[in-house]
Amino acid sequence: MEFIIRHKSVVAFISFTLFCIISLSIQSSTLVLTLEGVISAITMPFQKAYDGAQSGVSRLWAGFTELTEVRDELKKTRSNLQKYESMAGEMSELKRENDRLRELLGMKERVEYASIPATIISKDPDNWFRTIIINKGSGDGIKVNMPVIAYQGGQKAVVGTVIEVRGSISRIAPIISPTVRIGVKLQESRFPGLLCGYSGNSNLCKMDYISRAAYIRFGDMVITSGQGGVFPPGLLVGTVIKSYSLESSAYQRAIIKPVIDYNLVEDVFVIKKDLDKDLFEIFDEDKEKEK
Amino acid sequence: MIVSYIYTALIILISLLVQGHSSFDVVRIAGVKPDLMFIAIVYLSYCFGSFYGEVTAFVSGLLHDAVSNSPLGLLTFPKVAVAFVVGMFGRSLFKNNILTTSLLLFAASLVKGFLTLFLSYVFHEASASSILSIILPESFYNALLAPPLFFIFDKIFERELEREGYM
Repeated sequence: MEFIIRHKSVVAFISFTLFCIISLSIQSSTLVLTLEGVISAITMPFQKAYDGAQSGVSRLWAGFTELTEVRDELKKTRSNLQKYESMAGEMSELKRENDRLRELLGMKERVEYASIPATIISKDPDNWFRTIIINKGSGDGIKVNMPVIAYQGGQKAVVGTVIEVRGSISRIAPIISPTVRIGVKLQESRFPGLLCGYSGNSNLCKMDYISRAAYIRFGDMVITSGQGGVFPPGLLVGTVIKSYSLESSAYQRAIIKPVIDYNLVEDVFVIKKDLDKDLFEIFDEDKEKEK
Repeated sequence: MIVSYIYTALIILISLLVQGHSSFDVVRIAGVKPDLMFIAIVYLSYCFGSFYGEVTAFVSGLLHDAVSNSPLGLLTFPKVAVAFVVGMFGRSLFKNNILTTSLLLFAASLVKGFLTLFLSYVFHEASASSILSIILPESFYNALLAPPLFFIFDKIFERELEREGYM
């Protein structure tokens, strides 16, 4: 006992090291996940309280400093509203015509999804991982793999996907994370590709597997293709800022600047869309029907 | 000593919350943000020795891992290891001034970075590009912030340091 007390720092170092190595070795076991959940639950109220306090102070400060800006924006918004109101009638007519033509062509109906608004309460505190934590969880109907979008500069665009859900919070992996992969296509030329984060700490994405036949221009818009089953098709992702052909590959690569700036995003919307049926499941169902 | 524990807990909690809040992304330089919690751990190990630093590093590392998307232990172990080493040699090797504080933090951040990279390589996923994109910029950033933060911590722990005979 005396030995332990005398060499307590060495004993503590060995014990903590063993704990970390064992925990890392069995990282997906129920025990470790439960422990992580418990520690996360301890910190979450503090995170929510801090976020609330910070937002309160920001709002109060904004009340003093942004009055002139708000007045200008109100004026601009009113004129925009008038413009959009006049467009609404025209749009509904176009929608009816579009629906009718789709029906005539036998095309699948475009599905509209409901969404859950949420606020970002925290981001990964270190530089090694890039995830976002929002204040809505399984209790609000959020499930893993649901797509997340946000509005910035009047544009609706993709933020990422839900990768972890707890009772009142969820974790989102943003599209700038190298682990997230999304099926996308160039809006104008319709050439498809696969989008993922450019590097660990970059705010850019790369779009791979673009055919060499594709003519890519600076500023080309990239949208979701709907392939992969997570994102609905047609959601804005970003714009092309650079493209080049890879020497050893039969494809081109484009560097994409996402519409949603990871550093500035504060409020998001989780689209209530379940993962599309896996192709294998569809084949299995067909086989069963044949029997 | 109880006051020191309370101050330590508050510093760790506040640095975790500040570092994790979305508004902190504004201070990113070259894509990285400083690790305030790590600077606090190095300070505590440097001033109060290995054991104090290790326990603080372990508890704060677990909180960090739980809040982050990392597996439990990945961000904890490098902090514990650095706290152990800094606590062992800190006061005997480094005098408390701006240059040595920055150097200490730069070296400690490099060790932490390479240990995290190694653990990521063994237990998770890693890329050698992290050396240039994360480890080096973060080490510079931490070294830059260390002197003012050490000054603030010195003021917070003034009485305790006086009692220990460091001031």
